[in-house]
Amino acid sequence: MRRINLDIIAAFCSPGVICQILVGLSRTVILFIVASGLSLILGVLRIPNIAHGSLYMIGAFMAYTVSRLFGGGITGYWMALILAPLGVALVSFIVERGIFSRLYEREHIMLFLLTFSFALVFGDLVKMVWGAEYRTVSMPSFFQGSIPILGLPFPIYSFFLLLMGPLVAVLLWLIVNKTKMGKISKAAAVDREMVGAVGINVSLVFCTVFVIGCFLAGLGGALVAPIVNVVLGMDHTLIMEAFLIVIMGGLGNIWGALLGALIFGLTQSLGILIWPQFGIVFPYAAVIVVLTVRPTGLLRSTW
Amino acid sequence: MKRVTIIVMCMALVGFWAASSSYGANTIKVGFVDTYSGPASVYTFDVVDGFKMAIQAINAKGGVLGKKIEYTTRDEKFNPATGLAMAKELVMREEVDILAGTINSGTTLAVSDFAKKEKIPFFCTFAKSEKITGELGHRYVFGIAENTRMIGKATAVAIAKQSYTKFWVAGEDYEYGHAVGDACWKYTKEMKPSAQLLGQTWWKLGEADLAPYITPIVQAKPDMLYVATGGVGNLNFMKLAKAMDLMKHMGIYLHTAIELSNVQALGKDGPEGILGTVNYLYYYPETPENKAFVEQFKKMYDRPPKVGALYGYAAAQLIVKAYQKAGKIDKEKFINAMEGLVVDSPVGKLEMRKCDHQLMLPMFFGVTKKSPQYDYLIASNIMSIPGKDYLPTCDEILKVRKK
Repeated sequence: MRRINLDIIAAFCSPGVICQILVGLSRTVILFIVASGLSLILGVLRIPNIAHGSLYMIGAFMAYTVSRLFGGGITGYWMALILAPLGVALVSFIVERGIFSRLYEREHIMLFLLTFSFALVFGDLVKMVWGAEYRTVSMPSFFQGSIPILGLPFPIYSFFLLLMGPLVAVLLWLIVNKTKMGKISKAAAVDREMVGAVGINVSLVFCTVFVIGCFLAGLGGALVAPIVNVVLGMDHTLIMEAFLIVIMGGLGNIWGALLGALIFGLTQSLGILIWPQFGIVFPYAAVIVVLTVRPTGLLRSTW
Repeated sequence: MKRVTIIVMCMALVGFWAASSSYGANTIKVGFVDTYSGPASVYTFDVVDGFKMAIQAINAKGGVLGKKIEYTTRDEKFNPATGLAMAKELVMREEVDILAGTINSGTTLAVSDFAKKEKIPFFCTFAKSEKITGELGHRYVFGIAENTRMIGKATAVAIAKQSYTKFWVAGEDYEYGHAVGDACWKYTKEMKPSAQLLGQTWWKLGEADLAPYITPIVQAKPDMLYVATGGVGNLNFMKLAKAMDLMKHMGIYLHTAIELSNVQALGKDGPEGILGTVNYLYYYPETPENKAFVEQFKKMYDRPPKVGALYGYAAAQLIVKAYQKAGKIDKEKFINAMEGLVVDSPVGKLEMRKCDHQLMLPMFFGVTKKSPQYDYLIASNIMSIPGKDYLPTCDEILKVRKK
């Protein structure tokens, strides 16, 4: 028994595994950013936002447009990282004020169908605005290339993502726990009528939370844009993964989203190491295991 | 009075029917079912545009057998059920003489089956499933584009004679990915028995971040990585290859890495040093035929032709020549004329092979490289593999068809 433990520890210290954990963590970052936005909206507004993936896609397309406007390169990239999520936030603000705010009293299934229809509408809008062609945001030269970690190439951009993850997590924690808005939204998540009865404008709180959640989707899209090709349909896989993460972590719990994203990203990257041919199976198997053991998710669900 | 009305109506109907059928007899109609919306349309518009360019020239000279060639298109939105319904509609309502398309292998096989039952000639202009002219091939289906079996063999022809011995296969976990990966490895092992497969990695279709999949491959130290991805998956892989400087660690082969829509999408940021194959490059070969083709295409559409343009153009040439050879509009005679037919094209003479109805296009093999003249990577060290060298042998086809 002891022997096996030592072997496992030795295996964990090998460069391959360490590198794989780092790569898995950097993958976790984008999943966390998108899933936390989804979870935030789910927790406070009680809307399972299927269109969240589409907003992520719009974020990526906007990043493409903005970086082109500023002539690609490093300025273009930073402007895209700032402006694209803001653009997405603006779109979500219009949608929330225009439609969602009028329908909060409806049943979940209605809201669910509404967000689904928005996923379709956004998909077609993207096609009308940007077309069906492949788009690519060029990686700024600053982030190009890789650094060898224990002899294995590790993309510089992944390091950047590893920094962004904790940054977003800390900011979210500050917003939720240290601002008045965050505290009200936490209260509204538990009992929205009561919060309204104290004389707080619940509608405004909901709007803010919705916009912040969608901003995170846009940020995820802008961050992913340089590593992938921006294309119609990039929302499909992501929205599924994001929902699995949120369900695994506990509906509406942001830290659950973080935990879920970590489990999803790490089981995937380590699974590939164990069994490369069937690496895709591991994160989904992890979801099944987690939900069998804790059907309501790992952390306390706000539902 | 009533009887008179009925008789008049009947006569009018007969007259209308006669008029419409006589109108139909003056043209040869080709019906395209293909994906004209969504990501796949990056490839399909070139097919129709190449076809249109060819038939315009032919119609200007009076058409074939005194008839003009017409075409009509249907967008199946990458859905086989829709595609099949559209093919039926084209045959029943539009009364097309020939069917053509599609980029979706599922649609292609469904339409091919329908064409077999209806005895309508069908030209597959993009789908890559080897079943189309292989296992499920028949008298009425013709393959224009290369298929996965051909890709595998072309790869082996180009790679096996080089010094690589330790291979790894990685790609997208769907039918095309596996078919390409398996075929590449199968033929490589056949041509180079000393080759060794160190392992395989498969990721799901549309996977955004491939880094977790690639790092373990670098650690395994293969000297050649076969990448089996398609569409946007190619670009995701090529971006990562550049970010991780993968070319420093191993040789990388990716079918269509040098294809125009891929390198154009990546722009100047594309990775240099990736090996790839494709049926057509507009800047190679530098023959007068190809130059004229490119010039005409650019003039009509204001962009250089991609591989699809050659497929569409070749399909048009084949149709015209086959009718000329058959001497009349007759489907069976048309098929007979098509078998073994040789046509001119921008890439030289092309033969429609009799045994499996597969067009013998050359395959171009090259390495991605930056060039000051272009805003994107181009292929360098280009080698042309003639069709006879990389098409599966007729015996091979007969064997799989018997199964």
